[in-house]
Amino acid sequence: MFSKFNSIPTHMDYKGQKLAEQIFQGIVLVSAVIGFVYGLVIEQFGWTVYIVLAGFAISCVLTLPPWPMYRRNPLAWQPALPESPAETAQKPETLKKKKHK
Amino acid sequence: MNTALSRANSLFAFSLSVMAALTFGCFITTAFKDRRVSVSIHVSRVMLKNVDDFTGPRERSDLGFINFNLSADILLTSHFSNPIFDWNVKQLFLYLSAEYTTKSNSLNQVVLWDKIVLRGENSNLILKDMKSKYFFFDDGNGLRANKNITLTLSWNVVPNAGILPLVSGNGYISLPFPDTYETTKSY
Repeated sequence: MFSKFNSIPTHMDYKGQKLAEQIFQGIVLVSAVIGFVYGLVIEQFGWTVYIVLAGFAISCVLTLPPWPMYRRNPLAWQPALPESPAETAQKPETLKKKKHK
Repeated sequence: MNTALSRANSLFAFSLSVMAALTFGCFITTAFKDRRVSVSIHVSRVMLKNVDDFTGPRERSDLGFINFNLSADILLTSHFSNPIFDWNVKQLFLYLSAEYTTKSNSLNQVVLWDKIVLRGENSNLILKDMKSKYFFFDDGNGLRANKNITLTLSWNVVPNAGILPLVSGNGYISLPFPDTYETTKSY
């Protein structure tokens, strides 16, 4: 059952991670400022909490799933090198030399 | 930040820190506020009895009865006409206390009456001919002929965050108690 969950890809690339962090910090901070001012004006601290919770929910939706905008810069991996038989033959020799010393 | 769980973790931690900062801001915006209010207390009837105090010293002790009128505009403070109830006040605990000096104690304090006022309630306090809620027992015979018994209205401000201020109202009344005991049996 858990293997099904683990097989869902949730990763972002490095630039996507940075973007996601900036987005949720911005949303939460802006909602905090709005909530503080609104709560101070109408004299209800509860509304401040609700507005911050709303910002939290919005940033959950925007940054928790790996949306395509966070996967635009995939890492350019080196293509897999075909293993040549000569290399595999050399390796045991180097080991032998070390053993002799 | 690579998996959804680690993003959820950092988002939750950040939101909690922001919430803590906001709560501190709520405290600091109201921390230095003057919540004193002018109070007028008027005593309409004073009666004194000498009865057995079964909870106390097993002797006949003085029991006072006070009927009072009370008015306090706790919705408005006296200086800037700011309401006591701001965004950092959940409720007020108001209590009327009597202070007096006897031979055995230099300071006696007895709470006679109290009331909780919640946010959103009509908080203009106008009370006529109230009886005290609690017994005004002295622990001896210090009430008879006591010339200076002071009634004060004070209140605790219960906040959302921060300190729990204890405020005394501006305005108190000092009254003398009678020299003789009431001897009727009805009380």
